[in-house]
Amino acid sequence: MASQPRSWDLEVDLVAVGSGLGAISAALTACDLGAEVVVLEKAPKLGGVSGYGGGEVFVPDNHKMRELGIEDSEAAGRQYLEFLSAGFADPALMDKLLSSMKTAVEYMERKAGVKWICIEGLPDYYHPMVPGAHPGGRYLSVDLFKGAELGEWQHKTYAMTPHVPPGALHREMYAWGGLAKVTQWDYELIGQRISEDLRSFGPGMMGYFIKAAMVDRGIPAHVETPVRELVAEDGVVVGVRAERDGRDFNVRARRGVVLAIGGYDNNLEMARQFEAMPDWNSACPPYLDGDNLVLGGELGAAVAAVPPTNLAMFYGYNIPGEEAEGKPLFRSSWECGCPHAIWVNQAGQRFCDESFYKDYQPRLRAWDGQQQRMPNLPPFLIFDQNYRDRYPLGSFMPGQPLPEGLVTQADTPRQLAEKLGIDADGLEATLKRYNEFAAKGEDPDFGRGRSSWSRRLVGDLDYPNPNVGALDKPPYFGVRLVPVSVGINSHGLKTNADAQVVHVRGHAISGFYAVGNSAALLDLGAGYQSGTSNMRAITWGYIAGLHALGKA
Amino acid sequence: MPEVEYTTTAKLRVDTVWEFVKEMDNWAHFVTGYQSHEKLDETDSVWTLKGDVGVLARTLKFQVHVTEWGGPERVTFELKGLNEEMSGGGLLLIQSDDAAGAGSADSAPGRGFLARWIEAVFRFFFRRVHGAVKRAPAADAGPGPGVAKLTFRLRIEPGGPMAPMISALMRPAMVPAAEDLANKIMAHLEARQAGA
Repeated sequence: MASQPRSWDLEVDLVAVGSGLGAISAALTACDLGAEVVVLEKAPKLGGVSGYGGGEVFVPDNHKMRELGIEDSEAAGRQYLEFLSAGFADPALMDKLLSSMKTAVEYMERKAGVKWICIEGLPDYYHPMVPGAHPGGRYLSVDLFKGAELGEWQHKTYAMTPHVPPGALHREMYAWGGLAKVTQWDYELIGQRISEDLRSFGPGMMGYFIKAAMVDRGIPAHVETPVRELVAEDGVVVGVRAERDGRDFNVRARRGVVLAIGGYDNNLEMARQFEAMPDWNSACPPYLDGDNLVLGGELGAAVAAVPPTNLAMFYGYNIPGEEAEGKPLFRSSWECGCPHAIWVNQAGQRFCDESFYKDYQPRLRAWDGQQQRMPNLPPFLIFDQNYRDRYPLGSFMPGQPLPEGLVTQADTPRQLAEKLGIDADGLEATLKRYNEFAAKGEDPDFGRGRSSWSRRLVGDLDYPNPNVGALDKPPYFGVRLVPVSVGINSHGLKTNADAQVVHVRGHAISGFYAVGNSAALLDLGAGYQSGTSNMRAITWGYIAGLHALGKA
Repeated sequence: MPEVEYTTTAKLRVDTVWEFVKEMDNWAHFVTGYQSHEKLDETDSVWTLKGDVGVLARTLKFQVHVTEWGGPERVTFELKGLNEEMSGGGLLLIQSDDAAGAGSADSAPGRGFLARWIEAVFRFFFRRVHGAVKRAPAADAGPGPGVAKLTFRLRIEPGGPMAPMISALMRPAMVPAAEDLANKIMAHLEARQAGA
């Protein structure tokens, strides 16, 4: 913690640290209440992880559903989110989140011009397995955004991300057949949109937010300006010491500092200690260094946690030579949800519904107390020529040579197992059993195809069971997988229902707010559902902006 | 399909440029993203580059087949992707141009303002990443023994169902890459001549 500098380089009402949804939502809200605001971003581009992801915002009973006549209710939404939380949520925070999320999202449309559209037909993760889950309509995304509207920020924001297809909308992606039918998408249309810098998914969403803040309202933003310390006086946060062009840049914050810089995805030591998952990798840009915990820790902020068991953790791979944002690019493996692909452990045995990542995460964390090890790590993706004939591996299309150094190939399952170093008898037995049931479109062992979300997103709807198909056509292929985190961490700063950071002694630290993935997931507990991270970033950013300006 | 052409000039003899260009070992490391190359024979070579494909970088391996050694004026070639579905070709053209004006970038005709502007911005970031050479073309370079004009033309045609998307992703990166190769060759020869 820094003491007050002799002079401030800049004085504003609110400092938003970070430039993803949480920071920009807070900045917009405070600005609209008459506040002077500045945005400080460590990265060379604005947008944060929000601008690098899928751009789904999960809001039960949202206004776009209502416009389309899709029925839902707040009660059903609460029932579903309480199921997800598994009893680990703080009731006060969950209540505040649920009572504010629709207001916040609608505000961003009405005041900031964000063009939300409802992703029709995309079910909740647990539909139809649990009460309160919805068959489709709770996810919002944005309409295409014209990058040129960002003016000077056009090329200091993410125009696209390697994790989702550029220039396509969610509804188009599903209309074209989902991920399993990626060879049939309209690439002429996508190419045209790329040429015109028409953005979608996370980059498109952040385009709207950044335009509203930086272009329409003229809120100043500084990239490559990391905040190094918070400045406090008598326990109240009154500003920040940032670094800009190699020099201190001291900014006074008369009404508060909002920390919205994500978690510790790229801090391997924190990840190892907090997430207990070996071989950790991140799909996020390399700026999530755990600064939230360091900056807060220096002020005595409490750290809180939810179980890491079933948050958003994927498994995937790095194609040798592939890089993004100056580091190896790790892709989540969606292949395992398609027919003709499964996962096995080193015993050659399946252990989960591979098409549903909410099922595989906790099973990967299974612990063998006799052997003191996690028996399902590492998992191996196994597929056959049936798969190669139909579906891509990453961006490598059927018929295209597979990338060197990633995939192991063999003529028989036994030979493949031996090459991969897994139990050959086990793999042969697994394939024999899986294929017998696959012929009937069934998976009685782990229930592939049970989740309507999995069927819709990664399944091949030409199959009786979109997630099941036999592996019986040589050659056979295998890939050793590693964890790929997407920025949703189990530990974060403890906050209260006003988004204020809480001190280890239990009181709120005045002038200090944490939102988005910088704050612990106490509002949603042990659960995660695609779009909840963006939803809570918008909502808590909005709440922080209101509270800092005395309007909560 | 993305096709770019870039021409620059230098106060150099055509023969000087040709003697340098005809031996790929001389300038291979000037190619953007160069990792390695292997000469198979007089006309064929295998190249490994790290190429930008929109938001990510990927290792590209392709075979180059020279279709014409037209010294001292031209080399034409075809290329074929070995680990990616792509094909293409191009040429290096060396001409005497005593009346040459300033160097110019000129990619495929008919481009609109938006495309040119995107390329200009991309060029700015490209120079930050790759340290591309900025040099004065012959018109500003003072007296010398003559003026050579070096033109580099490159055409790449991605294959497979994603081809239109890959083309759109690659196009902005190809213009600064073509400029960079031509400028680095000329800058190297100018420096050598100045030091001689």
